[in-house]
Amino acid sequence: MKAGKLFHVSVVTLVMLYLFVPLAVTFLYSIATDWYRTFLPEGYTLNWYREMLTDPRLLEALWRTLFVTVFTIVLSILLMVPTIFIVTVYFSKWERLLQAIVMLPYAIPGVVAAVGLIRIYSDGPLAISGTVWIVIGAYFISILPFMYQGIRNSLRTVDAITLVDAAELLGASRIQAFRHVVLPNIMPGVMASVLLSFSILFGEFVLANLLIGGQYELLQVYLMRRMDESGHLSSAIVVFYFVLILILSGLILKFGRSAKEENA
Amino acid sequence: MSYVQIDNLTKTYKDTIALNHLSLTFDKGEFVTLLGPSGCGKSTLLRSIAGLAPTEEGSIHVDGVDITHLKPKDREIGMVFQSYGLFPNMTVLENIGFGLRMKGMKKSEYEGKVKRMIELVDLVGKEQSYPHQLSGGQQQRVALARSLVMEPKILLLDEPLSALDAKIRKNLQVELRRIQRELSITTVFVTHDQEEALTISDRIFVMDLGNIVQSGNPEEIYTHPANEFVARFIGNYNVLRAEQLRQLTGGGSFAAVSYAIRPEVIQLFPEHAGPEPSGNGWLAAGKVKDITVTGNVLRYLVESQDQRLQVDHLNTAKELWIQRDMNVNVWIPAEECVPLG
Ligand SMILES: Nc1ncnc2c1ncn2[C@@H]1O[C@H](COP(=O)(O)OP(=O)(O)O)[C@@H](O)[C@H]1O
Ligand SMILES: [Mg+2]
Repeated sequence: MKAGKLFHVSVVTLVMLYLFVPLAVTFLYSIATDWYRTFLPEGYTLNWYREMLTDPRLLEALWRTLFVTVFTIVLSILLMVPTIFIVTVYFSKWERLLQAIVMLPYAIPGVVAAVGLIRIYSDGPLAISGTVWIVIGAYFISILPFMYQGIRNSLRTVDAITLVDAAELLGASRIQAFRHVVLPNIMPGVMASVLLSFSILFGEFVLANLLIGGQYELLQVYLMRRMDESGHLSSAIVVFYFVLILILSGLILKFGRSAKEENA
Repeated sequence: MSYVQIDNLTKTYKDTIALNHLSLTFDKGEFVTLLGPSGCGKSTLLRSIAGLAPTEEGSIHVDGVDITHLKPKDREIGMVFQSYGLFPNMTVLENIGFGLRMKGMKKSEYEGKVKRMIELVDLVGKEQSYPHQLSGGQQQRVALARSLVMEPKILLLDEPLSALDAKIRKNLQVELRRIQRELSITTVFVTHDQEEALTISDRIFVMDLGNIVQSGNPEEIYTHPANEFVARFIGNYNVLRAEQLRQLTGGGSFAAVSYAIRPEVIQLFPEHAGPEPSGNGWLAAGKVKDITVTGNVLRYLVESQDQRLQVDHLNTAKELWIQRDMNVNVWIPAEECVPLG
């Protein structure tokens, strides 16, 4: 083996170990009875998982989180895809402005945003503080940058402007051009943004905790609260979370790929 | 009135004038070419004919109807884009049938028409392929068929061949012309390649800086460039100012500002020799500075009276006597010196 290749292989192995070992150990701990005197656990049990999964609070929290994430992302797609399409294709001079607005959430730390949002929405015409809507609103804003980038890049990649021009010259209305030509071609790219937003929202803790906390307990908040009870339980929770996100990502990737193949 | 009449068309982008009070006319069934360097406004002109780029001033009439303010889809104009603009999510058949489908026709109604178009552009067997499974040349044919099936009044082609390699390009030029003749469809073809323009067109409009600088058939444009820009752009003309030409020919009166001389009309003779009989022209002593072979043409760089001339001759055995650094006599026929405005 050449020295260069050896180097590459060892670097990759090291990185994989670095990423994988903590996970493996966490998994071991989550199925261990006792593990502090010995190199490997003294016994194995699924009790921690049973305890976690039999808690009705978990399932409720899971459904809440799913609702909040799916609702937010669907809302984001419905609003942002047409908006970005219209701005990119018909009002390109506004593109800079839209980009600036959409990128703002990047610059604002979660805690600051949470405090500001609570103060603004605790009274006045839109008193949604403490309801699920404030979380959905905040989540909508925080995934804007990712949705924007993904959608705009897909529009660029498929050369949406030329496609629309071609479709219009062939007698399509603007809406027909969007529906028959642009939308099917940007779907794979949009799915990538959706995947990213999903994993971001699933792991988001600061806003969920500060904006709504125990009033509408989301999965993230529930898990954090239970972590204090037992190390083994919290390991089980981490593994559970990891598997959940893995499955979600897998599903979305697969979906995205089949959408792409349909197009290709 | 001509079939297509464009008057005084003006279009500006922020700080560039893309079309500068441009006017032109051409007839039904003509194959006209817009020829000019990159950035001279060719695409902008096509896009404004198609209705994709609104103009500030001027008018466009087709078949006596003012279409200046019509929407693109109401103009009955077809366009093929340089980047093809095929719909990646549709097969060849669906791409070509798209326009008819938008007209409200059912697949069973338009399929026959689309099939005939596929035969015309020689894509039989590719009906179910997706654009990314086709070569560049094939994609271009699909784009062409997709426009043609709508039977547009005018077909606009924006540098349709410039992304293709030389051989495919030559074939497609011929084929494009065949299809155009077969359908006798009025066509506006854009290119920045003068050779392509001269080969393919009925009529050429040479553009510069948002304006038409000369129009005419290929022969007229090539043999009688109207100004220095056209002379330099269209061929490798030698362009000489009047006093340079006077110096070269050792006298004579030249009224125009400058003159263009095609490289292939200049003859070379051995020292002390000249043409027999010597017609109307000038003989000057010169020296061969460089010789390049470009395939069937030998290109000489000759220096005479401090002027450098490019001389092109067919690459035949007759030319073998000419060597680098040889003293020669240069013969310039008087009738080939084209006065430029
Ligand atoms: N969308 C646009 N925005 C700003 N300037 C443009 C735009 N399109 C074209 N131009 C400018 O207009 C001029 C003509 O462009 P174009 O018609 O594309 O030239 P050509 O097709 O002959 O290369 C160029 O100077 C170009 O930079
Ligand atoms: Mg162009």
